[in-house]
Amino acid sequence: MKALNALLLAIFIAILMITSRWIGQQAYTWMPPQATAEAKHVDDLFSFLVSLGAFIFLSILGVLLYAILTSRAVKGDLSDGPAIEGNPTLEAVWTVAPILLVLWIATQSYMIYQQIDLQGLSPVVHLHLPLEAPAAAQTEDTAKLAVDTIDVTAKQWSWFFRYPGGSTSTELHLPVNQTTRLALRSQDVLHGFYVPEFRIKQDIIPNRTINFSLTPLKEGKYRLRDSQFSGTYFALMEADVYIESPSAFHQWLTQISAQHPLPAANPAFIEHTQPSPKTFSSGWVAVPPAKPPIVNHSSHP
Amino acid sequence: MTSSVPIRRSRRNQNNESAPRDRNHLMVGFTIFLLSESVIFLSLFVTYIALRLSSAHWFPAGISGLEVTKPAVNTAILVSSSVVIYFAERALDRNYLGRFRLLLLLTSAMGAYFLIGQALEWHGLSFGLTSGLFGATFYLLTGFHGLHVFTGILLQINVLVRSFTAHRATPENHSGFSAAALFWHFVDVIWIVLFFLLYIW
Amino acid sequence: MANNPIEGILDVGERSGAPLEQTGWRRYFSFSTDHKVIGVQYLVTSFIFFLIAGLLSMIMRGELITPPADLVDRPFYNGLFTLHGTMMIFLWIIPSLVGLANYLVPLMIGARDMAFPTLNAIAYWIIPFSGLLLLVSFLLPSGTAQAGWWSYPPISLQNPSGHLINGEFMWLLGVALLGISSIMGAVNFVTTIVCMRAPGMTYFRMPIFVWTVLSAQLLQLSCLPALTGAAILLFFDLTFGTTFFNPFEGGSPILYQHLFWFYSHPAVYVMVLPAFGIFSEIIPAFSRKPLFGYRSVAIASFGIAMVSIFVWVHHMFASGTPGWMRMLFMFTTALVAVPTGIKVFAWTATVWRGKLHLDTPMLFALGGVAMFVFAGITGVMMGMVPFDLHVNNTYFVVGHFHYVVFNTITMAIFAAIYFWFPKITGRMYVEGWGKLHFWLTFIGANLTFFPMHPLGLQGMVRRISSYNPQYADWNIVASLGAFLLGMATLPFIVNIVSCWNRGRKAPSNPWRATGLEWTTASPPPVENFEEIPVVTSPPYGYGKVMTNEP
Ligand code: HEA
Ligand code: HEA
Ligand code: CUA
Ligand SMILES: [Cu+2]
Repeated sequence: MKALNALLLAIFIAILMITSRWIGQQAYTWMPPQATAEAKHVDDLFSFLVSLGAFIFLSILGVLLYAILTSRAVKGDLSDGPAIEGNPTLEAVWTVAPILLVLWIATQSYMIYQQIDLQGLSPVVHLHLPLEAPAAAQTEDTAKLAVDTIDVTAKQWSWFFRYPGGSTSTELHLPVNQTTRLALRSQDVLHGFYVPEFRIKQDIIPNRTINFSLTPLKEGKYRLRDSQFSGTYFALMEADVYIESPSAFHQWLTQISAQHPLPAANPAFIEHTQPSPKTFSSGWVAVPPAKPPIVNHSSHP
Repeated sequence: MTSSVPIRRSRRNQNNESAPRDRNHLMVGFTIFLLSESVIFLSLFVTYIALRLSSAHWFPAGISGLEVTKPAVNTAILVSSSVVIYFAERALDRNYLGRFRLLLLLTSAMGAYFLIGQALEWHGLSFGLTSGLFGATFYLLTGFHGLHVFTGILLQINVLVRSFTAHRATPENHSGFSAAALFWHFVDVIWIVLFFLLYIW
Repeated sequence: MANNPIEGILDVGERSGAPLEQTGWRRYFSFSTDHKVIGVQYLVTSFIFFLIAGLLSMIMRGELITPPADLVDRPFYNGLFTLHGTMMIFLWIIPSLVGLANYLVPLMIGARDMAFPTLNAIAYWIIPFSGLLLLVSFLLPSGTAQAGWWSYPPISLQNPSGHLINGEFMWLLGVALLGISSIMGAVNFVTTIVCMRAPGMTYFRMPIFVWTVLSAQLLQLSCLPALTGAAILLFFDLTFGTTFFNPFEGGSPILYQHLFWFYSHPAVYVMVLPAFGIFSEIIPAFSRKPLFGYRSVAIASFGIAMVSIFVWVHHMFASGTPGWMRMLFMFTTALVAVPTGIKVFAWTATVWRGKLHLDTPMLFALGGVAMFVFAGITGVMMGMVPFDLHVNNTYFVVGHFHYVVFNTITMAIFAAIYFWFPKITGRMYVEGWGKLHFWLTFIGANLTFFPMHPLGLQGMVRRISSYNPQYADWNIVASLGAFLLGMATLPFIVNIVSCWNRGRKAPSNPWRATGLEWTTASPPPVENFEEIPVVTSPPYGYGKVMTNEP
């Protein structure tokens, strides 16, 4: 009897493990395509978390369902179950096992974070602190700013990008397979830099410059989203992102630098000035959008 | 699991301070409340420290710090009033009613002196609430603390007035007074921290 | 157990109705200081706010059923989710659990009332008043607050109408008042539990519900003042032109985030701990077995409360938080799973080999536990920094927390209302309506909130009223599920309203449950107990010879 129970338990666990591993593999398909080097690491972590999570969820649900199905009292049975008040060994096991599990999960995430960090994802925040030795910060800045920093500016509710050489656009173009540094700034409120295919997200804080770098790996067109709620027209604050070959990138740069700067077309501005009909209009006063940026090149909304 | 004992007290006298088990409620509740109050002050202290550390220019233009001597005298008065109220408590314990009233009155007078000093200082300052972060934190912290001093004085006067009535604090039963005294010590400790943050640092 | 014959107890109930108190339904509209009246006042008031906040979410789901913003204008949509979130948290979950605790704690520990009855009544009356403040802001020309329930500066400080009395002003006033009410309540609960336990009711003889209330209220006391502090500072910035949080004048918006989450993270455990308490009462009663590992479950409540004070930065991983802080808070966040797991395992072991009765309260409890495990796992996933950087501020987060706040806590509150309904009203609800309510809610809730996870993984951010058509399919499912969920409340309302007056009379202990509240009449007399009971053993004595009723 004992042996049979142990065998059944082993089979149950084996099935669970296989199932959750399979679910973990599926997890890759739930994510958007991977467009950066960082994305692959994040997806590996996600798959790992899903496998483990599925195992925990399914085992608890399995035991619960089994218990519910097998130990229902028959109608009219008013007797009590066995007065088991606890089991110190079991309780110790289910305290220690989760401790080990969460340590494992967190260590795994820590390692992945370090890997991403090596590739330069982690933001360098310039707090403008008096404590920070300004001179040192300055030299370090200029050294790294050398070639490839793209200035990203967010305001209510538009994005614009200033490329090395000074040309500006409301589109973000990035050369593939090169590590590019972005300098994120906001002119009014909090915003967030988020491209789902890049798997990264960074809030942008007014009066600060946040630098981070990323390495795009896959050519294509993506969408940059403001991820930190920024008021009335937040939903409209998007921009196109193109990852292209270095030659195409430089060609595009030269091409736009020749264009005369003009105010960009801006969806928030358009909606504010010519509201589309709604079933219900509250008439509440909204913060007016900032003036659209004046750029060499603007994408068509 | 349970057996029964005869009913001990009725609803009407349950909150009456004469029942031995209930007498402590007020003090327990009040102490818990003060713990919570100290977290508010803590959050304001943290704000002050964090903002100060991250600011390049802390004091408003033309000021390099606050005048310390008068506030220091004020501080000394407030801190000593904590000692006075302690002696008031001892007087009450021995049922020296007259001395108790006198010391209590002295405490509130010292508290009032502190408040007036604070008001005069506010009046003489060259910066206002909206002159930068220092002005804002300064007025907010001292104002919020001053409100507490004011409340403390009201509590003391309440005990003082009641000492002339039938509901007066007695050596056996004076949780109302104990609460007022505890509050006073609390206000005092907060001020000491504030004094160091605002005037010395 | 006190095995007084039921007739005797009922008799007591009628005799001791105090003549000075209002009686009947009228007393619920009076400034009563009876903790039972106040408990019911809290429950009913907060349920009304639940319906209103639910109605707001129905409008949001109506807007989100199609990609363009065509139903309401954008300021209004932003007002909707701001007030939906604020009201659901501060006017539904927290006060309804406070109401339950008000009703139950004195009964469970054998006290005649709360320690400070007048304070208790004042704390209650603040609730409807501040709720009205929030609702009135719908009528202001500037509209309601529109900065989300976090009210992050600088957007919360933008005041386009220029009016002194604006939505944000009302919001801050309302939230500050609710905070004061909560502190009053917390002082009262902690004092009551510490000072007023019946003879023999040692800490390790208290029901788990009392343990969870105690730990939740201690959390309120030690963390809520940070939110009050933040609200004061924000109020000064908004109204008097100070610059605490204005980044262009040296202020720090990030400081606000720290103060806000220092409270609002523990707040989620303030909400969930009493729900755990409810599960711990109901599951043993309907499994006819003692709670497995009572002591470790009791201690785990404190463990959860303690750890939860040190995890708040997990809401700010993407806010420019330095790497070391991210890693530190990643580890602390993961640790919460341990004491929480102890509870989940204990409930599972309690059900194991029991004699299960699947009445409505038990269905809600089991459904709630199952969905909580799901929510907890997505929570731990988000605690992991690299993954959170992808899903932060997306619908994945929205999915995670609705699995807790609705699928766990709201389910637990329903379970509690069904379970203690006979105690509170002296009547039985109708079981069939209850089961219908459960199944509609369970299915509706999963249809509504599950799709939010894939949406978030695909990158749909929250707080938008229009979205890219690629997200349309899952949004249709979620919206239809939400409408089903809205309908699911109807059987509940019908059941409760009709049975409150006309239901079958309930005996004093219909579930044959242990616990002092079941030893007195249904409804309990004004002073709860004819005689203050003396407690001689731990709770949950199911299956022991003594609890087998004659
Ligand atoms: C009231 C409810 C509640 C509860 C109980 C929880 C519980 C948890 N939450 Fe959740 N959370 C919210 C309400 C709640 N949350 C809300 C409202 C928000 C969003 C606010 C907003 O942005 O508007 C949020 C957001 C939120 C975030 C921020 C995401 C972001 O914005 O980017 C994170 C990140 O770490 C998080 C984590 C967790 C964790 C780790 C738990 C843990 O406590 C869960 C622990 C439980 C389990 C893990 C399951 C049981 C355990 C076992 C079976 C043991 C074995 C398990 C393991 C070994 C893993 N939550
Ligand atoms: C705390 C508890 C809680 C609860 C119980 C709920 C319940 C629900 N929530 Fe809530 N929600 C939050 C807390 C909660 N929410 C918070 C904190 C946010 C974040 C806000 C922010 O971003 O700032 C949020 C955000 C949020 C969003 C995201 C908005 C956005 O980011 O753009 C959505 C979208 O679907 C949503 C939907 C729902 C739905 C469908 C329910 C359903 O479960 C509701 C079911 C409703 C009912 C059962 C009542 C039905 C009523 C009627 C049918 C009418 C009766 C009418 C009258 C009496 C007048 N919620
Ligand atoms: Cu734009 Cu946030
Ligand atoms: Cu949290």
